[in-house]
Amino acid sequence: MTTADQIKEQANFQQLAVEDFRITEEPYYLPIADEVELFLSAYEQKVPVLLKGPTGVGKTRFIEYMSWRLHQHLGEPSQEGVPLITVACHEDLTASDLVGRYLLEGDDTRWIDGPVSRAIKVGAICYLDEVVEARKDTTVLIHPLTDYRRLLPVEKRGELLEAADGFLLVMSYNPGYQSALKDLKHSTRQRFIAIEFGYPDRDQEAAIIENESEVDHEIAMDLAKLAEKVRNLKEHGLGEGVSTRLLVYAGKLIHQGIAPRRACQVAVVWALTDDLEVQRSIEEVVTSIFEE
Amino acid sequence: MTTAELQERYANELKGFGASLPDDLAAGLAGLESTLDESQLDRWAKGGVDLANHSLRSWEAAAEYYRASPQVAAKLSFEELEHWLSLATGLATESSLMAAAFLKATPDALDQIETTDLDAWSQQGGRLCRGNWKSIALAGLYFQHSPRLLDSLSLASVGRLVDIIDQLTERSYELANSVLEGAGDIFENLAPEDREPFLAFARAVTRASWADTRLYFERGPKLLEGVAEEERANFLDLASRVTMDVGRQGFPLFADAAQSLTQVDTEDHGELLAFATSIAPGSSTASMEYLKSAPFVRSRLTPEQMGRWAAAGVEVLNQGNAEGAEAYFRLESTRAEEMLRALSARVELPAVSQMLRLYAKALSGEQVAVLSSEELVDRNIGWMSESSATTEGTTIYLPPFVSSFPEQDSNFQVYKVFTTHQTGRLEFGSFAYQWNSDGPYTSTTVVDREEQRAVALAERTDEEIAAAEAAEAAAATESVTTTEMQRFFNLFGDRLLISGLFTIVEDTRVDAFVSREYGGIRAWLARLQSLEADRRPEVRAMGLRQAFVENLLRASLGRPDTIRWPETLQDTLAKALAALKVVEQTGASVQDSAEVSASLYDIAMRIPNIPQDAVDAEWLPPDEEMISIAPDMPGGGEGGDAPMPSGEEIGFENPEQPEFRGDFKPELVQLLMKLKDQQAGQQDGTASPLTKEQLMELLENSVEITISEWAEGDLASSLGMFLDNLEKDAATPASEKSNEGEGETGDDPGGGDGADDEELKVEVDWFYYDEWDFRASDYRPRWCRVGERPGEEGDTEYYEDILRKHHGLVMETRKQFELMRPESFKKMRRLEDGHEIDLDEAIAFHVDKKAGVGPLARVYSRRNKIERDVAVAFLLDMSASTDEEIEKQRQKYEEEEEDFQGDPSKYFQWLAQRRAKQAIEPPKRIIDLEKESTVLVVEALEAIGDAYGIYGFSGYGRDNVEFHVIKDLDEEFNDRVRKRIDKIDPVRSTRMGPAIRHAIHKLDEYDAKVKILIMVSDGRPQDHGYGRDRTEKEYAVHDTKQALNEAKRIGVTPFLITVDKEGHDYLKQMCDDIGYEVVDNIESLPRRLPTLYRHLAAD
Repeated sequence: MTTADQIKEQANFQQLAVEDFRITEEPYYLPIADEVELFLSAYEQKVPVLLKGPTGVGKTRFIEYMSWRLHQHLGEPSQEGVPLITVACHEDLTASDLVGRYLLEGDDTRWIDGPVSRAIKVGAICYLDEVVEARKDTTVLIHPLTDYRRLLPVEKRGELLEAADGFLLVMSYNPGYQSALKDLKHSTRQRFIAIEFGYPDRDQEAAIIENESEVDHEIAMDLAKLAEKVRNLKEHGLGEGVSTRLLVYAGKLIHQGIAPRRACQVAVVWALTDDLEVQRSIEEVVTSIFEE
Repeated sequence: MTTAELQERYANELKGFGASLPDDLAAGLAGLESTLDESQLDRWAKGGVDLANHSLRSWEAAAEYYRASPQVAAKLSFEELEHWLSLATGLATESSLMAAAFLKATPDALDQIETTDLDAWSQQGGRLCRGNWKSIALAGLYFQHSPRLLDSLSLASVGRLVDIIDQLTERSYELANSVLEGAGDIFENLAPEDREPFLAFARAVTRASWADTRLYFERGPKLLEGVAEEERANFLDLASRVTMDVGRQGFPLFADAAQSLTQVDTEDHGELLAFATSIAPGSSTASMEYLKSAPFVRSRLTPEQMGRWAAAGVEVLNQGNAEGAEAYFRLESTRAEEMLRALSARVELPAVSQMLRLYAKALSGEQVAVLSSEELVDRNIGWMSESSATTEGTTIYLPPFVSSFPEQDSNFQVYKVFTTHQTGRLEFGSFAYQWNSDGPYTSTTVVDREEQRAVALAERTDEEIAAAEAAEAAAATESVTTTEMQRFFNLFGDRLLISGLFTIVEDTRVDAFVSREYGGIRAWLARLQSLEADRRPEVRAMGLRQAFVENLLRASLGRPDTIRWPETLQDTLAKALAALKVVEQTGASVQDSAEVSASLYDIAMRIPNIPQDAVDAEWLPPDEEMISIAPDMPGGGEGGDAPMPSGEEIGFENPEQPEFRGDFKPELVQLLMKLKDQQAGQQDGTASPLTKEQLMELLENSVEITISEWAEGDLASSLGMFLDNLEKDAATPASEKSNEGEGETGDDPGGGDGADDEELKVEVDWFYYDEWDFRASDYRPRWCRVGERPGEEGDTEYYEDILRKHHGLVMETRKQFELMRPESFKKMRRLEDGHEIDLDEAIAFHVDKKAGVGPLARVYSRRNKIERDVAVAFLLDMSASTDEEIEKQRQKYEEEEEDFQGDPSKYFQWLAQRRAKQAIEPPKRIIDLEKESTVLVVEALEAIGDAYGIYGFSGYGRDNVEFHVIKDLDEEFNDRVRKRIDKIDPVRSTRMGPAIRHAIHKLDEYDAKVKILIMVSDGRPQDHGYGRDRTEKEYAVHDTKQALNEAKRIGVTPFLITVDKEGHDYLKQMCDDIGYEVVDNIESLPRRLPTLYRHLAAD
């Protein structure tokens, strides 16, 4: 037994190759508009998709849901969804991080495929999260993958990879807080169809909060109301409105028995901003809405 | 010898003197006959003759002697009488006039003093006499006034007064005279126990400053009147001690402190003075400053809190920091202000306005501003109350402070309820009334009502129409109205009543919304409602209809239990309450409010406004059933109502608005909005403009502006002015209004969102900064006002000129700077993880491994991106001294160098050359070099791409520090900047501290990794009031140093460049570990500055 196997035996966790990962249970997702239909059509037609929207509105949840949903749509017999390979982009992300690289192993070198290469090979959805964070020279690399060619040149090995059938490139992008420096290149963004994600309306948001955090309806409505109020402050001391995710966190804390005011303080107020004045203002909104 | 003989004998001897002398002698003899024996009489009479013969005019004294003697003799023995004469003779040696005054005053004086004190008394007068006529007159005056003085003062005290007067004579006899003359009245009016202290303080004042003595005697008694009677002596004692300590500041401090005490309840004087006295040994000034600040502090703190506040000041004092304690008690210290704020229960609007603004914005989602109600009143657009909350649609106005409760938090909650209610009017659409539109709970009846009213008006007889207000009739019949709200109000004959009802109904609706939507505020809203309900005026003092409206208001405050209403009319009220409840339901809109108001109006109109005693019924609180009545609109069939009582009606007034609801003027607000739309519409050519007539008509009819509010004079012109104000106001966007307010807020000045509208206004933005007082080792809060303004614009030619002139230098620096531009990627080797395997490293590693050395496998490499992220602010000294020509400056230092060996011809030759040179090229000033350097730096920085700002500063006094923006950090370099550089000119003083602080503030707002502040100056910091007096340099240097330290604290690297050769001495002190450079050769500044920058910004 290898050490890795031993660890696996003792601890309660799973170790998977990225391409083996499947969403097996239906993720909770409340469609806001026609985004599901749009995505299904795009997948069918192999059109790359760009998900736009502020943080925490459910972009990632959406792609998970779609990956689960797609196998039903494609009529595959297996209960498992289409593989989903997620890459969180950051400013040091380079081409070799995506495509692959040589590693030294003993006296030899060994080639390791990057996540994009793997997705291409198995026909997975490749999800580049927060793509603007990546260096521009890196994003250019995916260009040939996104048009009719669906090819990935692997320079170091002198190879071309042609994407398997199920492969689809999806990126997410938050237009809100990026400075002009961190905008997407036009040559990149014009290779995708864009689906916009906004904040859900009060009732929808309350439904999401209720479902995710299991608080009662009234609290969920109040949290959604709070969100609406706080979002009024966007661009006015706040870089971005409060995300649904934070509201769900607040709801979970409340569900665990934390007083609503306190839960909102830690999950909303302090999480949102460091500006004392703005903190104070939001706290006043919180105390206006919640009684304790 | 008989008296007759005596008289005859001495009359002869007295012949040569004044004609009346023998008569005086005779009168004296007659008066003394009974008290003295013959020989005594003889000696007495002879004494007078001797006195008359004593010197030139001593016969006058003799006359007084004879006249006064009978009275005097009644109190003195004969020996004493003779001694008295000898005293007079002694005085006559100096001046017979004085002797005469002495003799004349004696009878009165003896009423006050013992016979044994005569010596001392005469000496006191004698002391004042110095031989010249002024002093003689003064001494005479002394004897004349002293009986009166002795009436209220002991002889010894009078002696002290004489000391004071004596001292004054050294300066001015006139002053001495007037003090002496006035003293009698003053001391007589003072309470006996205050007299000595008053005198003691007078002595201290005189010693410190003779000029203040006059002021003291003139104003002192008046000032004392404001002080509690039993505390005056203590206060004077304290003042004396202080004055002995601080000298000439003593009296002004006394005067100010006395003034302050008058503003404090006299009951508290004892406590205040006791405390002041207790700290006087530590610092006299501090004790007086404490008294001066007392009214201000007392208005914000309870006595107990004030004790704690003062104790903190004592702590400063105990640390041996007397200057600090003085600043503390003078309230010129951050510590004192913070302490005050922490202790005070009172909440001031500036401290919370920014936060409430964000709060209101969050709730309403609108761009609202929060301002003090005072400002709305100043705007003169119809709102009059300075202390209540209100809104005009874009801005929420709040009272300047709240101190209703003893705890700070509660007062803040009051602010919050105010804000929430006003925001509620915006959020829940109080101003969105639309003509002829149904609400969720009611269907509108306005069209029917309009028709009915038109018919009713048309059916009136001529007299009735004449009786009705012509304007009102016209408004209703023509139905040409400006706003929908106006059209609605026009439906009703009694606009005052409908306006009052609509206010109550709409506020009820808003309150209901607030407590439904904001559960957290419900408790406080209810508490304030309840407080207001308990505070309502007595309902029975009102007319019946007014009582009806008042009762509705009480119900709307959630306190129907406070309602009182005649038993016989309970049904009517029940109907009204049911109607009011309609708007408390979820989702009710302003349309419902209007409809409910209309039906309440119908009910109210049936109720006559008769006095309470005309109603023959008991006034009862409502029963349970009525309180819990279900919402319902009154039906059409009103026949079942109880008959109304009748009688003589009295005047009707709407009930006063509860404080937390504040003024509600929907008609005006709709008008303002309309004006705003119109102004916006004019730009794109839509929307038909309102005519002046329409506006005037609306204003004339509206009850939201009462006639008494018009300035006296003719109505039309004040209406016109009012209209102008309204139009002006409509043209100002809310954000701008809020900007004005923002500048005023406390610690965080600015808000800095003026960037986008900078194009439009050339106005000055004001910022406030603290100043460091090194003596108190504390900041003086909000001490300096910095006015930021865009620099003036000149011509671009100047800029081009400099470029041409320094072409070589420009190219050179540009090139140097371009070299600083980083490569965008840098290869990093020898990493444990990376993108690529570095072949050389891999082989080396492999070899090592085989050899068994076993180093780490650092065989990877990667490319990292490098970004240059520097922001720099240049701060140029634009003080008047930069106007100085460099030649002159150089002369100052190099005078000896030019040696003409005493040969005038050489000198003239040199002079001629210099003049010729100057004729071609005007002499360069320091500022010119600053400007040239600026041009070079700009060129260089444009090459490298760093963010930079260029600012000039100057000003005069702490209230007016000028901060000229030549180029802001985020501004593009363009022709305007070039033009501004041309106009950099010397202005006034050099208050460096605030200018540095403002520059730091700008850098702080800017996002960059490396921030640099470079200040170029020509000398030490100095300004009016920048230090204890004109010559003091310490204060300014310390403040500047502190400002530089602040810069470092927030991560700005400051650097100072001066062309002042003497700069080393103070720069060393000012800069500590901060970089600075004294540029010896001024002309090298343009070359030096870019070089310095390169070093500073290197990493």
